[in-house]
Amino acid sequence: MTENGSIQISNGNKKTPKKFPMVERFLEGWSVYKENLIGKIGLTLLIIFALMALCSFFPPMIDPMYHPMTGVDPLISHSTSPSWRHWLGTDFIGRDIFCQLLAGARIAFMVGISAAFMSILLGTAIGMIAGYSRKIVDTLLMRLADMIMVMPTLLVVLILSSLFGQLNIWTIVLLIALFRWPGVSRVIRAQTLSLKERPFIEAAKVAGASHFRIIFRHIMPNVLPLSLLYMTFRVTSAIIIEAALAFLGFGDPSTVSWGMMLQWVWKTGHMFQAPYWLLPPGICISLLTLSFYMLGRAMEEVLDPRLRKEVAQE
Amino acid sequence: MEIRKFVFKRLIEIFVIFFVILTVLFLLFRLAPGDPVTRMVDPTMTPEDAAHLIAQLGLDQPIWLQYIYYLKNFFTGNFGISFHYGVAVLSIILNRLPNTILLFSTSIVLSAFAGIFLGKIASWHKGKKIDTWMTLGALICHTLFLPWLALIMIWIFGFHVGWFPLNGMITPEIWLDSSSGFWLKFLDIAHHMVLPLATLFLIHFGSYLLLMRSSMLDTLKEDYILTARAKGLTEKVIRNHHAAPNAALPVVTSVGISLAFSLSGGALTETVFSWPGIGRELVFAVSNSDYPLAQASFLLIATVVLISNLVVDVLYAYLDPRIKY
Repeated sequence: MTENGSIQISNGNKKTPKKFPMVERFLEGWSVYKENLIGKIGLTLLIIFALMALCSFFPPMIDPMYHPMTGVDPLISHSTSPSWRHWLGTDFIGRDIFCQLLAGARIAFMVGISAAFMSILLGTAIGMIAGYSRKIVDTLLMRLADMIMVMPTLLVVLILSSLFGQLNIWTIVLLIALFRWPGVSRVIRAQTLSLKERPFIEAAKVAGASHFRIIFRHIMPNVLPLSLLYMTFRVTSAIIIEAALAFLGFGDPSTVSWGMMLQWVWKTGHMFQAPYWLLPPGICISLLTLSFYMLGRAMEEVLDPRLRKEVAQE
Repeated sequence: MEIRKFVFKRLIEIFVIFFVILTVLFLLFRLAPGDPVTRMVDPTMTPEDAAHLIAQLGLDQPIWLQYIYYLKNFFTGNFGISFHYGVAVLSIILNRLPNTILLFSTSIVLSAFAGIFLGKIASWHKGKKIDTWMTLGALICHTLFLPWLALIMIWIFGFHVGWFPLNGMITPEIWLDSSSGFWLKFLDIAHHMVLPLATLFLIHFGSYLLLMRSSMLDTLKEDYILTARAKGLTEKVIRNHHAAPNAALPVVTSVGISLAFSLSGGALTETVFSWPGIGRELVFAVSNSDYPLAQASFLLIATVVLISNLVVDVLYAYLDPRIKY
């Protein structure tokens, strides 16, 4: 914090004009993004899912039977098709599927964003350190990355859950983050390697900046957009891994996720009788991952002027 | 000569990685809460059998000696006795391995070829309707949730239309009947394989298509394409003989990188379709706390990933003569 403070004092009057390029860059990026059809579809879908996640808090307030986990309709004890009382029908013990779907959106966002954020944090830090230090540290970190990269994350988490018993949702998030950083760190390392040779890093070195300062004040702002881009793809993979884990029956039993809903449908043998129960969770998982993927692809175009020119030609 | 040296270097690397995985797994099994003996020895065994197995696995020895035993047992193929099946783990996983390799390699090869072929077409018609639809279709297929797609496949084509069996790999009646010949058995497996194969294919070909498309667009800007045009070659020759082989290289790399991901997908597919492969066995073993089987299946899957990575690397070297190692 003190470091930040001293900078603000030393060029306090420069601070306001310096802020504007950031805003301008964002607006410029946005104007490119706006033109992208895939980006627009992705963002719209994402907003719908965010609204779903927000709405998930309301149904249990209206009536306790709409609680996604514990709420059971007293009149129903088996799976029923959609009605006015239950918009998407009920599951095998009379819980409302629509409410479970809303709650699932909340879990998916929570898992996706927190796991992606952690893996990006780890991947960016490791990538920058490896790229900046080269020599033995670089070799060791990158070998480690190679090793983790060849491990199928889902199966690793499966093995761990067999050894350590039922994993709770935050342990799953942590494990996903721990196994999904190598891809990011490779990209960040490559970027750092090219940044390192630029004159401004040389200048910072001559001015006496420490390695720590060079990495976090001079290199980090330049790799951050790239990290952010990779975060959208990591969100996708985190959501898929959690859903697959829940589908196989190794999810957190105290939460309702879309993967778990699919597991219930599958394991209770309602697959062929209850399309109103089989279809919604799968469509939601697929659409949510699609929307993050589309967001990422559109952002890629914003960040990479080469791709942007292509779009302009069309 | 160069390539032989490269393969040798990669082999050593793979061996080291494998050794680390082996060690980490050993430590995990010892560090996890609970007694390692209960993990490796079936609680329903007779005391004499249990004592024999404990001595064989070295579970009564200090931990460093246990590690030596563990390595020795691994390299001699002794993974212990499965709790659930009651037979040697090795025989189970060796029995399942061909099934996994059959499904997995067929789906990877098919989807890579389809992705390369369709991506080539999409990039050639860039900006036109066919390109837009192909890109969108690929995006959607790529992000479909695999187990759900598998369930939908079974629901539509297995249950409603009834063209394909709901699950499994063989029809027992055909295989038990001694009069049925090779082709009947072959067709039976192929018939069972259609749905799982289609599921894996749909999930994978999308990403290859998208990659091939963007790689092809990059390649078309190269100078040698301009040269080919200047020579007066037809567009078809330029596309198929000059641009496509070079543009396909990143796709080959991506096949290698996404192998681990594909194997997770393979385990899910096998589980949903009851395909008797390693992935299903792993999921099954974990659900039943059959630790020896889980450990061995996991090691085998790791081996498959590592070896396929090597295959992809060699393939890449073969496809791109410009690469010098």
